Amino acid sequence: MRLFLSIILGKLVAAASSLLNLGAGSTWPGHLALKIETNFVKNIFKKNSLKVIVVAGTNGKTTSTALISHLLRGLGYRVFSNPEGANLMNGVTSALLKTTDFSGNLDYDFAVLEVDEFTLPLLLKEIVPDAVFILNLFRDQLDRYGEVNTIGSRWFSSLETLPKKTFVVVNGDDPYLYFMGKKLHMNVKYFGVDEKLMELKNIPHDVDFIYCPSCNTLLNYSRLAYSHLGVFNCGKCGFKRKDVNNFSENSINYPMEGLYNVYNTNGILTFFKYFLKADLKKINSLLKKFRPAFGRQELIEFQKRKIFLLLSKNPAGFNQSIRTVKSMLKNNTASFLIVLNDRIPDGQDVSWIWDVDFSILLSNVKKIFVSGDRVYDMSIRLKYENKTNKIYPVPNLQQALTKIIENTRQGEKFYILATYSGMLEIRKILLGKKFL
Amino acid sequence: MINIGWLYPDLMSTYGDRGNVITLVYRMQKRGLEAQVVKISLNESPGLISRMDMIFMGGAQDKQQEIVNKDLKANKGLFLKKAVEGGIPGLFVCGAYQFLGRYYKAADGTIIDGIGIFDLYTESPGINSQRLIGNLIVEPYILPKTRLVGFENHGGRTHLGKKVTPLAKVIKGFGNNGEDKNEGMVYKNSIGTYLHGPILPKNPDLADWIIKKTLEKKTGEKVSLKKLDDTFENKAKQVIIERYL
Repeated sequence: MRLFLSIILGKLVAAASSLLNLGAGSTWPGHLALKIETNFVKNIFKKNSLKVIVVAGTNGKTTSTALISHLLRGLGYRVFSNPEGANLMNGVTSALLKTTDFSGNLDYDFAVLEVDEFTLPLLLKEIVPDAVFILNLFRDQLDRYGEVNTIGSRWFSSLETLPKKTFVVVNGDDPYLYFMGKKLHMNVKYFGVDEKLMELKNIPHDVDFIYCPSCNTLLNYSRLAYSHLGVFNCGKCGFKRKDVNNFSENSINYPMEGLYNVYNTNGILTFFKYFLKADLKKINSLLKKFRPAFGRQELIEFQKRKIFLLLSKNPAGFNQSIRTVKSMLKNNTASFLIVLNDRIPDGQDVSWIWDVDFSILLSNVKKIFVSGDRVYDMSIRLKYENKTNKIYPVPNLQQALTKIIENTRQGEKFYILATYSGMLEIRKILLGKKFL
Repeated sequence: MINIGWLYPDLMSTYGDRGNVITLVYRMQKRGLEAQVVKISLNESPGLISRMDMIFMGGAQDKQQEIVNKDLKANKGLFLKKAVEGGIPGLFVCGAYQFLGRYYKAADGTIIDGIGIFDLYTESPGINSQRLIGNLIVEPYILPKTRLVGFENHGGRTHLGKKVTPLAKVIKGFGNNGEDKNEGMVYKNSIGTYLHGPILPKNPDLADWIIKKTLEKKTGEKVSLKKLDDTFENKAKQVIIERYL
């Protein structure tokens, strides 16, 4: 009865807020429904027999959720997933509210649920998923999420409560996650990337786990992909990774640029190979047709310029954005706009920009425009890195866009790297649409 | 050649602390001074510390602090104490600041001995207590008429003893413990603080104070530093001051 009431009221609020254009429509209905029925999510999934896949990790959740959904649909399944920005309990609830009928029926084969770092343990208290996908774990918004070790140990405890039959996919190139996977009692499969793609010479600065999770000794890396991901072994206790799926023999059509997307895709392939036992050839042809989620390597045409927009919100992610752009540009140059905000969804502490390695991009830079709430923090960061006069701070984002457009020719491509709220704002200006 | 010793860069560098080292080197080089960063971690010999003209150490997570604490107590702590007591300028942020005190009482009540260089102690009020997180604006006693801005994120509350003096008075934020309006501490030529952000890039006056002390200690002469273009730095600071004050 409470479930029924919460659905009715939740749906009403959703309808009212979209009718009145109140914004924030995406999580309020869920918030309300959870007030009425705290076990809302649990009860909905109890009623329905669809398979549930949970996607967690610091970076790549939205892209991976979209890609898994795309592939499942391509295989003919009906798929439900929570939209971008709705990865807390109230967001998941809102998405469910929108989709169920009044009795709480969800007429789908799969639910693919993206959850943020805090929500994974909360969600696993409510439901027993069929598969859990752990992409990676990097420092991110320490003022909000806290220490990565704390997040990791919370993940471990909550995963341990799941039944043995739960299928778990874990990044095996991450020493901490690999160690966690090995301790879990269920069926865990690991993914990584081909060693040939691991090109870093030295351990970079943005690492979180380079000490042996078993005995605290500095790990040896024979190959390094990025951050603390690579081929590691412990000289003292012998801890090392094995059976990591990298699909190097399969000529995969990776649908997006950048090593981080090879990781995401290989994780997803591991799931499709072992959990669904899907035909990899079929999956590979479906990969070609995938279009990125918005703001993640999104190409936007605006005033005859080609704008490549990359969400870049923490050290590991930002460093990957830079490497990706670098590999696209090779020896060419381009102009950049970097947007640094410090609102709640960005994290209020901007100190992380000092863990980003901007220097590798400098030879590719024509001009760098900087904008956002913390425009001058980012300008200092760039100034101390490049010692040239190519940095142009423009606090107002609209004006910054105008400036970079004035400084590029028609048909020219330029790059925008932005934190979360900056990315949303940019899209609003470029596409004239309000999101959320 | 000025040697900047960076302690445990691979372990104690969670909050963009590298920015402090980058800033020191940049501002020295702009003045024609030769500077190099010497990374001193677990595998380096503790004796290296004695050859440093300046020492920096940042903050970390509990797990990493555990590893560092062991190493400091086993061998590097004594060398560090000698350097600080001898007047070698040092900057110790967040976790490092707490470490160099007498002890740290963790949330579960366990007492972790510090290395006792600074007369201060830190206590967590318990597992359910709030961390002190947010933008922090302070007025430093060593640099009258300036303000320092940054970000703090710490669970422990630090209380100063008689042998050290507070670095600054809190204008906005929590500082050492959220109660006595003190932020950080100064002992000889060393600074301990909760300000990250990191602290030095946006607070060039403090960076220059450390550089001056370093040069004076090294040469034994009074030093005055050439002014640099700090337009971005001052604006970055102003953005935060205007937002909160």
